[in-house]
Amino acid sequence: MEEKKSSKIKRTRALKNNFFACGLLMRLCPKLVVHEGVSRFLGYFEWLFYSAFFMRYVINSLETGESFGRILTFIIIVVIVFSSMSLYDSILNGRVYPISRAVVNKGLYSKLFKKSRNVELECFENSDFYDKYTLAMEKADDRLIQTVEVVFGTVFGFIASICAFIFMFQVDKLSVLFILFPIIGNFVFNRKNSKLDYVRNKDMAPYNRRIAYINRVMYLPEYAKEMRLTNVFSLMKQHYRESIQGLSDVTQKYTKKAMINHWLYVMFTFTFIFEGLLIYGAYRTLVSQTMSLSQLAVITSMMVSTTWILIGFTDSLTNLFKNGLFIEYLRTFLEYKEKIPEDMEGADPGNTIKSIEFRDVSFSYKDKEVLSHLNMEFRGGKTYALVGHNGAGKTTLIKLLLRFYDPTEGTILLNGRDIREYDLKKYRALFATAFQDHRMFSMSVLDNVIMGENVPKEQQEQKVCDALKLSGAYDKVMSLPKGIQTTLTHEFDDEGAVLSGGEFQKIVVARAFVKECPFKIFDEPSSALDPIAEATLFDNIYESCRENTLVFISHRLSSVQNADWVYLLSEGTVKEAGTHHMLMEQNGIYADMYSKQARNYLAISEEGGVSA
Amino acid sequence: MSKVFKNQLFLWKLCFKTCPGYMIYFLYDGFRYQGIIFLEHVLGIRYVLHCAEFQEPFWKAFLFIGIIMVINMIQIVPDGLFIHGWSYKCKPKLYKALKEKMYEKAAEIDLSCYDDPTYYNDFVLAVAEAESSIDRFLSMCNMAMQGLTIIFTTGIFYLMTDAMGILFVLASFVLRFLVSRVLNKLNYKVRIKVNPLERKRNYVSRVFYLNDYAKELRLHPNVGDALEKEFAEANDKIIEEQKKVSTKRSLLRFTNMYLVGDFIMDGLYITYLVFQAAVLKTVSYSDAVVLFNRTGSLRRGMSNIADIFPMAQENSLYIDKIRAFLDYEPKIKRLEGDKVPVGNAELSLEHVSFRYNEEADETLKDISLKVKPGEKIAIVGYNGAGKTTLIKLLMRLYDPTSGKIVYHGRDIKEYSPYEYHNRFGVVFQDYQMYGATLSENVVMEWMDKEETEKKKDGIVEALYKAGFENRYKTLDRGLDTPVTTEFDKEGINFSGGESQKIAISRAFYKNADILIMDEPSSALDPIAEYELNKAMESAAKGKTVFYISHRLSTTRDADRIILLENGRIAEEGTHESLLKQNGRYAEMWNVQAGRYKEAI
Repeated sequence: MEEKKSSKIKRTRALKNNFFACGLLMRLCPKLVVHEGVSRFLGYFEWLFYSAFFMRYVINSLETGESFGRILTFIIIVVIVFSSMSLYDSILNGRVYPISRAVVNKGLYSKLFKKSRNVELECFENSDFYDKYTLAMEKADDRLIQTVEVVFGTVFGFIASICAFIFMFQVDKLSVLFILFPIIGNFVFNRKNSKLDYVRNKDMAPYNRRIAYINRVMYLPEYAKEMRLTNVFSLMKQHYRESIQGLSDVTQKYTKKAMINHWLYVMFTFTFIFEGLLIYGAYRTLVSQTMSLSQLAVITSMMVSTTWILIGFTDSLTNLFKNGLFIEYLRTFLEYKEKIPEDMEGADPGNTIKSIEFRDVSFSYKDKEVLSHLNMEFRGGKTYALVGHNGAGKTTLIKLLLRFYDPTEGTILLNGRDIREYDLKKYRALFATAFQDHRMFSMSVLDNVIMGENVPKEQQEQKVCDALKLSGAYDKVMSLPKGIQTTLTHEFDDEGAVLSGGEFQKIVVARAFVKECPFKIFDEPSSALDPIAEATLFDNIYESCRENTLVFISHRLSSVQNADWVYLLSEGTVKEAGTHHMLMEQNGIYADMYSKQARNYLAISEEGGVSA
Repeated sequence: MSKVFKNQLFLWKLCFKTCPGYMIYFLYDGFRYQGIIFLEHVLGIRYVLHCAEFQEPFWKAFLFIGIIMVINMIQIVPDGLFIHGWSYKCKPKLYKALKEKMYEKAAEIDLSCYDDPTYYNDFVLAVAEAESSIDRFLSMCNMAMQGLTIIFTTGIFYLMTDAMGILFVLASFVLRFLVSRVLNKLNYKVRIKVNPLERKRNYVSRVFYLNDYAKELRLHPNVGDALEKEFAEANDKIIEEQKKVSTKRSLLRFTNMYLVGDFIMDGLYITYLVFQAAVLKTVSYSDAVVLFNRTGSLRRGMSNIADIFPMAQENSLYIDKIRAFLDYEPKIKRLEGDKVPVGNAELSLEHVSFRYNEEADETLKDISLKVKPGEKIAIVGYNGAGKTTLIKLLMRLYDPTSGKIVYHGRDIKEYSPYEYHNRFGVVFQDYQMYGATLSENVVMEWMDKEETEKKKDGIVEALYKAGFENRYKTLDRGLDTPVTTEFDKEGINFSGGESQKIAISRAFYKNADILIMDEPSSALDPIAEYELNKAMESAAKGKTVFYISHRLSTTRDADRIILLENGRIAEEGTHESLLKQNGRYAEMWNVQAGRYKEAI
């Protein structure tokens, strides 16, 4: 997938991206950029010096009968120069790089975090955006540094190649022609094989993806039970075998072509230049007698280093374009213009809610209409229940209310003013929400309940305990070794607690209890709870949220009847609205739902309900 | 030491058995590569330089190089096949040879293994490292062959032209080896200190980039601030740790790279060579050039061999994990045991107690229960009362710590678990959808095309029974619909309720004797729940059914209701008798039902 898109960005754009990367790294850690450049330069310098100059000087001196002392002086000077270069390199690797890497990591990721916190939620749900975004995030620091390395590698590789040509030219004009072989080898045949590799990889990708998936299924604990109780293992095994077979079938069709290219590549890049130059050199020294032994010696070592410098240069060039694509992702993300920026400023919504009104709100998600021309109102201090089928749009409505998304059409008004005009952070601070798909952070229970809300330190423990009591998790939490100070999840703490789904749910609900705000939202707070816990929880919700505006979503219609107002959603709009009694009298969808659920509780079991 | 060797041998045997020809060529390849370099860069260059220095006839040089060229042209033909064909084909096969064994084992180990974090971590590590352990092993083989070839070829060349040169190389090699060890120890110490910090860093970045947390972070921005701070602090600590060792490390690196490396070769050895060539005249110029140019290669050859040992040790650690995993003897062996007699029968628990591990409290305490064939049993109770555990024991995913479970008059331990499991149709709370076709997701078994066609009607029937009919009719590709978007862009991610129906159809399809439903309706809306219950009713005819639910309306008509409390059966009886008893069940019922009554 990553590869497929590479064709989409132009070469000039890829090049520009590399400059962007250099600029970015320059801002994050200028020291690193400078040192990278210098060390790349010195690397090539050393290479060329030894293969072209050093050997030539020594052999020349030997041939011309220079005194041993003079050669020794030369060697000592070289030793001193290179020992200081090597010392520099050691300091780079021993001190500068490790520290700079942490500096870059810190700087780059804090940029990325800020951005990812600021973009609207939809970005995370849009798979196109999200795929690119994860690609941009993954090892971004290493790859950024690598990109800059490659830029320097390309620049100095190019200069070094030119220098190598010049040196060869100086030694012997014709010998330069032999360099054409590795140039052809690299730029023609190696390129051809890289293209084949790319196509082959693309063909192999679906099989590899399946293999990775099967691997996951085989070790993740959530599949373990079914793996034992059913025969699904035989299915996975067969799919695995087919994928392995698929891989080998795919490669088959490229083998012949790749072999021919490989042969030509090796011949041109190594054999023809090496053997060719050796024969040519032998001819010049032995037959035409126009080349000295030292020249021949230099040519034999130059041909090797020139070839490898060329290979290094072409590799850098290939990587330059590859990195261009990665930087493209990074850049797209960093330069993304938020639709609902989290740090959006605006009017202060105050701290009281008189009313929140949905006025003709429609919302489409991925071209599918989820809410359509919906009108409803939440009045301050009242209790509302949202009911309806799975997929009727209840949770989406909550997300719009919290301004995770903006409506496609229509407006939502808080105290008569469009919610888009308010300061987003302050607006959202009006709400406390317990969602169904809760997440625990690797922090103490206390922190997981407080969630950074502004609660004075000395009151924290008391408030958290109260909230946990209300949500029903108190006893369980207190049975943990460190009580509310116990870390949740195994992420850092092997002693960390992993609770059952029901217990986690209660902790999430406690979050909504602890937060002091005018509007509280509970999205199916009780789905995993036993009857007693469920009943107590609903009592507590009603009890403790008396002062608040309260909205909850529930499939347990018995809990709904005490609400001041019930909205029944169907097909993305409000189909019925009223108190429980009004809706029952209306004898519509709500009444049907209610009686289906109530039937078996009330002794009117005319069909017998379900026996199992 | 011998274990390190044995572990590599284990991989060699495995690989050799899978692709013998490939493995032999693989070894040859290391030899070939260095052999060619020796031929070209030592013998070839030296010969030409010799010819030049001593004015040999041109044709000799021409012939010599010509032969090298022909050899080169020939040896590269199979090389292309090896790199671009054979390796692509054989490597997956090698991986498969190991992976398939591990998968078989993974499907077989006791479920309790997943509860033990140490075991599970090792297991995950073993699976994750299986392919790389083969890769590492192969590259070790290659390094060994290259190293040996260099030592044999270039080494002999040195011995014959200038034996002293070997001493320089050897001295440099030994000293570097010693300094490297000090350096590695230092790096290891840094690693140990930095690792937990990096773990923290990774955790924070995961929180920020996974969409799972995106909502929470928007609702609780202060948590985000705290995490960002922790991230920055982790980095500051890393910088501090790196600074602490930086001087020592730089000096060690300098010693290692230069003083005992380049300095010995480019400083001392070259002086020695020049001295020999210019003053003593014991080495010809051409030999001096080749000797000097080849020091690097000889040193590399030696360090290749030296590097193999730490690599082998590291690899051995992983292979240990892999082998330990493969050697694990499951307590519940899937295919061993007797056949289960045909037909449904009484299922009974006799004084069953269970604890998850030795330190843990008992999850179930002395449970005795007799269930007649066709009886409908509802299990109710508080969260954490042991309901799901009881079900797991019934299905023999775990064995009781004491007591026994009897089916068809015999301890279920005597039956083959595979056979026994086939008698159960189960719908768990945490059922899974698989990246496969819809029909495969129902049948949960490998079938070829013909079989799929044959089973088609049954599958559709099972789906219909589970209430999937309406949705099924909207699927363009019917039973061939790919489930999940894991591989197929056209795949469908069914909603929670729809997936649940598919999961339920599995139980229907299986036509099992015993049905187990573990809160199948918890995520459903009232209408869907009602439909599900009706479907269940028709499907459960004649079968023994265990039903766990917090919705007491769905369990009231069970033949018997079991109320678990703290791992014991606290109450047992029909709905009516339990109400009369006026205990826990009655309390629960009244709490839940009372609210409906009030509302009417």
